Amino acid sequence: MKLDSLIDQLAGDLAPVRPRRFWVDASIMALVAVIELALLFAVGFAHLDMHRMMTQPTMGWRIVSLGVISLVSGFLAVRSFDPAYSTRGALRWLALIIAICLASGIVMAGLPTGAASLMQRLDWRSGVQCASKIVLLSIPPLLALAVLGRRGAPTDMRRTPLLIGLAAAAWGAFVFIFACPFNDPLYIVVWYGVGCGIVTLACRFLLPRFARW
Amino acid sequence: MADDHWRALMMAAQTGDAAAYRRLLVEVGSWLQSYYSRRLPPSMVEDASQEVLLSLHAKRHTYDPAKPFGPWLAAIARYKWIDRLRAMKDSATEELPEEIPVRDPGEALHSARSLEALLERIKPAQANAIRLVKLEGLSIKEAAERLDQTIALVKVNIHRGLRQLSELAQEESHEA
Repeated sequence: MKLDSLIDQLAGDLAPVRPRRFWVDASIMALVAVIELALLFAVGFAHLDMHRMMTQPTMGWRIVSLGVISLVSGFLAVRSFDPAYSTRGALRWLALIIAICLASGIVMAGLPTGAASLMQRLDWRSGVQCASKIVLLSIPPLLALAVLGRRGAPTDMRRTPLLIGLAAAAWGAFVFIFACPFNDPLYIVVWYGVGCGIVTLACRFLLPRFARW
Repeated sequence: MADDHWRALMMAAQTGDAAAYRRLLVEVGSWLQSYYSRRLPPSMVEDASQEVLLSLHAKRHTYDPAKPFGPWLAAIARYKWIDRLRAMKDSATEELPEEIPVRDPGEALHSARSLEALLERIKPAQANAIRLVKLEGLSIKEAAERLDQTIALVKVNIHRGLRQLSELAQEESHEA
């Protein structure tokens, strides 16, 4: 087909559109996240001993760390659906935030005294369960971000899927905080890290196959 | 790029003004042909321009009228250019036809210069394999004989070289 006839066809097919607004997409995302959290509380997902859990020092660290990471990465993911927006500089800041959160967790955890202590603290059977629950809880925000991404026009097929994965994983982990009975920062850094890492890497490598436009 | 003029046309197009939209597409089409003639072999310019017009049509709601039109269009054009480079990588083992239609030697020269600048940034073995097979149209076997390499190595060099080119193009596009 020649360029002229394509232009004729496209002009003939024209219908009015409402320009995409960042804040509308961001609000949809926030709504999905809040609904997920509210539904899980409604079905009794939260830890029974929540009042005591909230007094633990690691609880504040978890809430602040995962809340900030999911908020910042979600914000950047939605911004990156604009074709002209580059996330390169902002990603460095996000990496710094993640490093600070992990480092503070490791400092709080203290070093294990030996291999036996390490194995006991990591409790890999529970850890695998925690990581898999985080993966499951990441699915609703992940789907919402993927749908919004399809409606948008992301042009960076490396960073946008990474941000989508990170935002969804951090939110999944944030929601899981309220059901997780473990308080050891070492356990949290390792197993929450595994759960979030699986989601983020899966998105980074699988999403570009479906997100191209 | 007449940004304010195109922005006004695009805003009108978003409200359903077909005449403004047609004018915008004609002007953008001409800009795209010039853009791709500096970045792609002449045989690909028309297809790449058409693909961007189709994308512009499908994604016209993603243009925010509060922002300039030029960077939005340029980002889509770059994205589609990188896709073309990636597609070249995926068809790295296909032989090109002996007769490659060349419409305008000036365009070909621009395109060759732009590609040459990118090729100079990758490994010489990869660049030479791409030059012979993708640009000069030699078969893999002929290129292997010319470069004194095995056929498998030429294929690997083309594949890796095109992947590198696509990454370099992507990096440049996000630095711009």
